[in-house]
Amino acid sequence: MSVFKGLYEYRELLKTSIKKDIRGKYKSSILGVIWSFLNPLLQLAVYAIVFPLIMKSNIPNYTVFVCCGLIPWTFFSTAISRTSFVMIENANIIKKVYFPREILPISIVTSEMVNFIISTVIILAFVMAYGIGFSWYIVFYPVILIIQYILLIGISLLVSSITVYIRDLQHFIGILLQLLFYATPIVYGLDIIPESFRWILKINPMSYIIDGYRSIFYYQKMPDFVGLGIVLAISVILCIIGYLVFNKLQKRFAEEL
Amino acid sequence: MENNYSIEVQDVYKTFNVYLDKANSLKEKLLFWQRNKKEIREVLKGINLNINKGEAVALIGVNGSGKSTLLKLMTKIIYPNKGKIITNGKLTSLLELGAGFHPDFSGRENIYFNASIFGLTKKQIDERVDKIIEFSELEKYIDNPVRTYSSGMFMRLAFAVAINVDAEILLVDEILSVGDQHFQEKCLNKMKELKDEGKTMVFVTHNLESAKELCDRTVWLHQGVIRMDGNTDEVINEYLKETK
Repeated sequence: MSVFKGLYEYRELLKTSIKKDIRGKYKSSILGVIWSFLNPLLQLAVYAIVFPLIMKSNIPNYTVFVCCGLIPWTFFSTAISRTSFVMIENANIIKKVYFPREILPISIVTSEMVNFIISTVIILAFVMAYGIGFSWYIVFYPVILIIQYILLIGISLLVSSITVYIRDLQHFIGILLQLLFYATPIVYGLDIIPESFRWILKINPMSYIIDGYRSIFYYQKMPDFVGLGIVLAISVILCIIGYLVFNKLQKRFAEEL
Repeated sequence: MENNYSIEVQDVYKTFNVYLDKANSLKEKLLFWQRNKKEIREVLKGINLNINKGEAVALIGVNGSGKSTLLKLMTKIIYPNKGKIITNGKLTSLLELGAGFHPDFSGRENIYFNASIFGLTKKQIDERVDKIIEFSELEKYIDNPVRTYSSGMFMRLAFAVAINVDAEILLVDEILSVGDQHFQEKCLNKMKELKDEGKTMVFVTHNLESAKELCDRTVWLHQGVIRMDGNTDEVINEYLKETK
């Protein structure tokens, strides 16, 4: 419980660092805003052009299909790769002032979430442009979002604290994220994967989250709440483990950095 | 009974691993595992110290005696290997001034950011911001980016923030040398004021004059143990005898 007390006492720091992070991104230039849209859009263009060429896919509205997976994935992967740097970036403050260290990864994940919510406009625009329209299932968007957020908090606590001790983890994480990208049904549908490999997708929590977003925007059906419920349970457990590990490791941050 | 103490240091030991050539990455750890020589340096060896509420204590000692380490342990930036440190009340440390300052932001924005690192809420900062600006004497420049400040201005702003946090315990590391004579005196007066308000203070200092002026009690650290603890004048006399 002391976790929440500490975070509450330092809520202003949490707020300012989230604001600073978001403002830094969109600061002063319109280009900043454009970039944060352009990046996923260009990526989307690449996948939407390349994959139908090399793969025989019979997915209707393939661009929308990829879009629904790619945008949440970008949220996931940028949040994780950024938290692997966060302690080293802030070494200066960590060595000199006391504050609850978990504020740093939490503020990164939160500001990336805000960024994702803004980027959701892209999904909505594509859904409209392709004439798919909206359904009332969109009300489940916040539910899936919160599950993804909790999952990311758990992972970021682990990643941010372990990288202080093992710096190379940053590079592994980059590779791991790339692998995971292909182990998640983002650019392809579940049906093209041979039965013998489907277990990989089944143990990957991001599959359920991506599938959730896709259900509400693309398929316009009820998300798989059993799967999402399991992901939620795993995420909560991950948060607890993450916090315990973080708490143990953070005691020597100032010495190791 | 217990609550009469602001800071309780119970049998604290602290060692640092000093890597002569540190292998930071996994590659280096695997390739040069034999190179990873480390020296274990014992900095504090069994410190017991109770500081009462409202007491102003100076920590003195030669370089490397563990004064700053003890202070860092009190702020929870680092943790002891053995023993326990209990602090009662809101604590602010002035270890290094302006640690969280962002050079591109204005002085005013940095006040908000820095004060939030000390755990203040927006409302509390709003109440204090004028006082902070006034104390720093930077009214004209407060909306300029901090990178345009001279080092003296920078220090003044940082000190003004830290001193106005209204903590119950104030830990200060060798910063009474901020700014010019006039500002130093102002700091000293502010410290005295805070002391009269009943705040607990711990100073690490080499300036024995200011220690005499501010503190009733002085702790002399020598090679990681407490050599002497008592009335400031007596301890400083002994200390001077020893070091001369």
